[in-house]
Amino acid sequence: MLEDCANSMPLSQDPMRYYRAKRDNARPRVGDKYSILGFISSGTYGRVYKAQSKAADAKIHAIKKFKPDKEGDVVTYTGISQSAIREIALNREISHENVVALKEVILEDKSIYMVFEYAEHDFLQVIHHHSQTLRVSISQHVLKSLTYQLLNGLLYLHDAHIIHRDLKPANILITSGGVVKIGDLGLARLTYQPLQPLFAGDKVVVTIWYRAPELLLGAKHYNKSIDIWAVGCVIAELASLRPIFKGEEAKLDSKKNVPFQRDQMLKIAEVLGTADERDWPGLKDMPEYQNLKRLDHYNNRLHEWSTPRVKTQSGYEFLKQTFAYDPDKRLTAREALKHKWFTEDPVPSANAFQFLPTHQIPPHRRITQDDAPSMMPLPTANSHAQAAAQVQAQAQAQLSQLSQSHSAKGSVASFGSNGGGGGGHTRKKSRLG
Amino acid sequence: MATDFWASSHYKRWIVDRATLRQARAEDLQYVEDPEYFDLLNIFFANVISKLGKKLQLRQRVVATATMFFKRFYLKNSYCETDPFIVIAACCYVAAKAEESPVHIKNVVTEARLLFGGKFSSHYGIKTFPSDNSKLAEMEFYLVDDLECDLVVFHPYRSLMTLCGKPGNSAVLEAEAGELGVGIQDGSQSWGTGEGRLELQEGALQTAWFIINDTFRSDLCLLYPPHLIAITAIYLTLVIHSSTRDSIGLHSSDSSSGSNRRSPRSSHSHSKKPTQDIVGFMAGLNVSMEIIASIAQEIICQYTLWERYKEEKGEASARGSFATELQSSMSSGLKRTASGQLRAASVARSRDGTPVDSTQRIVGRTRQPAVVTPAFLAQLLIRMREAKMADMAHPATGRPMALDKRLERAQNA
Repeated sequence: MLEDCANSMPLSQDPMRYYRAKRDNARPRVGDKYSILGFISSGTYGRVYKAQSKAADAKIHAIKKFKPDKEGDVVTYTGISQSAIREIALNREISHENVVALKEVILEDKSIYMVFEYAEHDFLQVIHHHSQTLRVSISQHVLKSLTYQLLNGLLYLHDAHIIHRDLKPANILITSGGVVKIGDLGLARLTYQPLQPLFAGDKVVVTIWYRAPELLLGAKHYNKSIDIWAVGCVIAELASLRPIFKGEEAKLDSKKNVPFQRDQMLKIAEVLGTADERDWPGLKDMPEYQNLKRLDHYNNRLHEWSTPRVKTQSGYEFLKQTFAYDPDKRLTAREALKHKWFTEDPVPSANAFQFLPTHQIPPHRRITQDDAPSMMPLPTANSHAQAAAQVQAQAQAQLSQLSQSHSAKGSVASFGSNGGGGGGHTRKKSRLG
Repeated sequence: MATDFWASSHYKRWIVDRATLRQARAEDLQYVEDPEYFDLLNIFFANVISKLGKKLQLRQRVVATATMFFKRFYLKNSYCETDPFIVIAACCYVAAKAEESPVHIKNVVTEARLLFGGKFSSHYGIKTFPSDNSKLAEMEFYLVDDLECDLVVFHPYRSLMTLCGKPGNSAVLEAEAGELGVGIQDGSQSWGTGEGRLELQEGALQTAWFIINDTFRSDLCLLYPPHLIAITAIYLTLVIHSSTRDSIGLHSSDSSSGSNRRSPRSSHSHSKKPTQDIVGFMAGLNVSMEIIASIAQEIICQYTLWERYKEEKGEASARGSFATELQSSMSSGLKRTASGQLRAASVARSRDGTPVDSTQRIVGRTRQPAVVTPAFLAQLLIRMREAKMADMAHPATGRPMALDKRLERAQNA
């Protein structure tokens, strides 16, 4: 067969044809290695499936399939997205108990499949379960265990000079054994000796409700502490079962200029009080400083907010320190892990669900069946390129259907993020639905 | 990870031994007369990548990453079965993304076509480079697969700056300003105990930097961890950078560099700073000096080979410092030439030093066209591929096929 290729294709036109044929033959196919159990979620990046390994261990995995690029109806190569490159590159280097592990990447028929370890739950789902079904707040033990493990994973990332840049409840997974796994490194990046300012690469990072004030104020330089702010928001959300700073996102204008996020800034000020130069000397240098000055003045009432929700004084102090306006004064992941809050009873445990009665454990991740077969062609197909194109067209049709009937499926906890600033909006929709 | 080389994919999967290197070229070896061509091709490819990188305004670190990707790709593939030029373009395209300074695919295609087959750069004469973005994107896809998705690469530049960069000082170096300008963070060294920082003079730092650039024209970056290459570059700098050599020679006569300090030089050496304990610094690094010595020998041999590779305009390199018979016109970059004495000393040392198979071979031999040009090597690549395709087109019965005609045409061209 390889010889045929060499014969039929003039060298001068496509010198790489032989190479590709050879590689295509050698490469294992997704369908040969995994059977798809169902569809978990979709986003701008593509879709996530639950799959079972065909190997002897029969392990369950989550397969993230990046949306193939299309020109009209034809699937074509347009270059791998920066976000996919990041997620792949970073995941290949890291390994930590509290970060979702990448098992392998399969590149096949113009699509990229990332095979991850499977996690049964996520923070958003736990929040929903408590707010909608159980109608009780999350226990202090679970709250602390989830927080501690989240910070533990984050410390690993930060020590490796990785900023996550999209921490939010939907991106933080939990295994059925109660182990927290930070997921979705699609916006994450290495910050070790960047060749250009972080701002230059991505104008908008972090879903709006979890976005740190320095980002809202247009800072061109930022660091790991934006993740700590997001952690603060996540903890507050676990404690109160609703987002603490639930602002409306101001959309990019037609020239893609980033507007001042007035409403989000207000929502923060309502709880933490108006930002002040005395606490944050760098404040007056922020590009949006003048806009900030125009907002109404608020006093800090975080203590009142915390008392019924995190109960203890040390819990309040912990939140206060993660919500320091000045990024330099915010807790680091390392400091946070040593915080007094974690030394007081109930102390966190490696299995967050350890002491939970069975009925309080959140339900299994919902998967849908109807979409499952569309993920990939049957392994038997000989002319798989065509088959794939067909199936992908089908999948696309289903995808657009899906987005139209969003509210129906919105309750499925999203496995990953939608990346970028638009994420919050989708999230909001799903809540309404 | 970004700090821990030992936990990286680079260390775990992409440091290979010489047997692997040989195996990687086994197929190609059937289509060249002499394996030495592979060493010349190493120089050739690195230069092409560097040139395309310049056109795309890629930083040195991105070019280094692209070169590494290219080398890794050809650990698994043969020149004769692929088109190295589209691989080069894809390497630059992916490296720019991997280093978080992406360039548009259209730019890569345009610049690659101009460089490889344009009217004014006749010496590659590659007319087959596709104008279609999707062909490059397709190559990217296969490339990432062959790279096993390992896209984070460690480079000696970082070790160099950690060891010798001045903290908080945006070092002046026009060519690589940004690279050196980035502040060194909490210099966490992934090896040994060495706490010390060796303060190099500005020019010396540049020399070391250029030596590292040059190592990408060999297989050293596949064979050794980057910090060992960086340390070797520092070691060689201490020997060849004259004012540095003199300033350290003044105080440490037992310096291992074998610097036969000459008195006229030392008179105008400006050593204002308190002496640095070079030997102590090297010892504190806690690395095998035997390995450093053998890397040093390979670097020196690489320069000897490089003299036979002739390009109209050289790259910024430390080559000039090693120049022997090189005419001054050929040595761009650094004009500071090491003293003849020293050069003789280091060459002699490299000859009777620890055995290094490939380098011994190269040094001891005089053969082939005395000088090779990029055009010659580009033709060689085409001939290799056509011969390979012709072989495949021949069934076992050996009936001549149409491919032969093309082969003839190419040979006549």
